[in-house]
Amino acid sequence: MTDRPLAGRDDLALEDALRSLASAIDWPAAAPLAPSGATAGPDIATRVRVRIASGERARPAQTWWRPLARPVRRSLVLAIVALLALAIVAGAVGLGLPGLRFILGEPPPSVLPSPTPVATATPSDLPTPPLPAVTGSRLGLGQQVTLEDVEPQTGVPVRLPTDARLGPPDTVWIDSTKFDQIAYVWAADEDLPETSERGVGLVLMRFAGRSDDEFYQKVIGMGNTLQTVTVDGHDGFWITGEMHFFFYMRPDGSGQVDDTRRWVGDALVWNDGEATYRIESSLGRDATIEIAESIE
Amino acid sequence: MYGVRLSWRAVHIEDAELIVRARTGDVAAYEAIVRRYQDVAIRTAHLICPETDADDAVQDAFLKAYDALPRFREGSPIRPWLLRIVANEARNRRRSAGRRRGLALRVAEAEPSNRTAPGPENIVIAAEQRTELLSALATLRDEDREVLGARFLLDLSEAETAETLGIPRGTVKSRTSRALARMREALGATAGPGR
Repeated sequence: MTDRPLAGRDDLALEDALRSLASAIDWPAAAPLAPSGATAGPDIATRVRVRIASGERARPAQTWWRPLARPVRRSLVLAIVALLALAIVAGAVGLGLPGLRFILGEPPPSVLPSPTPVATATPSDLPTPPLPAVTGSRLGLGQQVTLEDVEPQTGVPVRLPTDARLGPPDTVWIDSTKFDQIAYVWAADEDLPETSERGVGLVLMRFAGRSDDEFYQKVIGMGNTLQTVTVDGHDGFWITGEMHFFFYMRPDGSGQVDDTRRWVGDALVWNDGEATYRIESSLGRDATIEIAESIE
Repeated sequence: MYGVRLSWRAVHIEDAELIVRARTGDVAAYEAIVRRYQDVAIRTAHLICPETDADDAVQDAFLKAYDALPRFREGSPIRPWLLRIVANEARNRRRSAGRRRGLALRVAEAEPSNRTAPGPENIVIAAEQRTELLSALATLRDEDREVLGARFLLDLSEAETAETLGIPRGTVKSRTSRALARMREALGATAGPGR
């Protein structure tokens, strides 16, 4: 059948040939790819979300001359991004932080440097959102469960901070689409200042991942700061600023998992050798580290 | 949990739920919709507009679709609705580019890794004929390439193709037939008298 010239085939055979062609085409990916074929940056959905969240609207189609200038503009942007990424990676390597790689990417146009980036600030021109009935229900953390559900559903024992500022979490969430990502959420109270999410005081997340091959990427928009810290002897990062993207490799190393939820506060990220944890809060660095180190 | 293939109805229902949430300003819900259809969207754009504009066209189309969600007809499948916006945005960029660009698609160097047991569609053409097909496709008029691309490369139904390209369903049939005839002519010209 393959010997038959294409031009001599009838409509049905030509349709089949085109369908076959579809599976052989090197289709473009929705996310940029590294030479290795691994995903190397946020996908279209992430970029669209960022643009919507920042109030941006669609750009008009380009005029006839702009495509001529585009490669030059893109090259310049990429060159700047590459330099900044090199600086960050070199800094991280220099600081001796194996297992975590941070990449400074081209920020969305709306994520311009803020003179005083404060993660917990609520834009004054937006109405205060109503207090959700369920703490953390608007964060997209997956399915709400009880504390008792966590270990049976994920195989991961419950480990929580024993710090006096926190009681038991107010809500617990599991996202089975992200390798049983677990999130514990505490409501804001007099000891726990509210984050940028109404009613939420602190979020503790656990991301599954093997310590030997996990690989994390962080795309930081301008206005973020990054500090290396130590959490109970483990290397970690204290990250402040408004816009965060977090990508981590699947536990089997087969690909990338996007955690594109907008963070509700400054974040402490560390890996204890078995999993990666992230705490988002408005408590500040030292208090957040204290809480992290109280996890048992 | 992974690898479970959802039925069309299950996907459709879930789409409906996400749309309801997205209409109320739940950006994460809309992001989930975009992630579900971004691959077919980027393929659609690459069939229509210059390669360098396809990514921007898709992003802007999804932004426009977000604004247009209140006008989305409840209960309708969202995929062709989204693809129509993508196709329009891609056409705008093709027009703005000011000159005809070649089809940006290429045949993969390696065999697709996800190909398992060869189905009927996988044994129809030899590897060297794929390039021939793609070259012939690139010589077609825009409207012919779009209809063949939508129907057979994107594997859209006639109804989806009609909505995506903004033409009546009957036109999809007739245009497909004519486009296949022109494709055959192009293949004959490509193959030369010896084939």
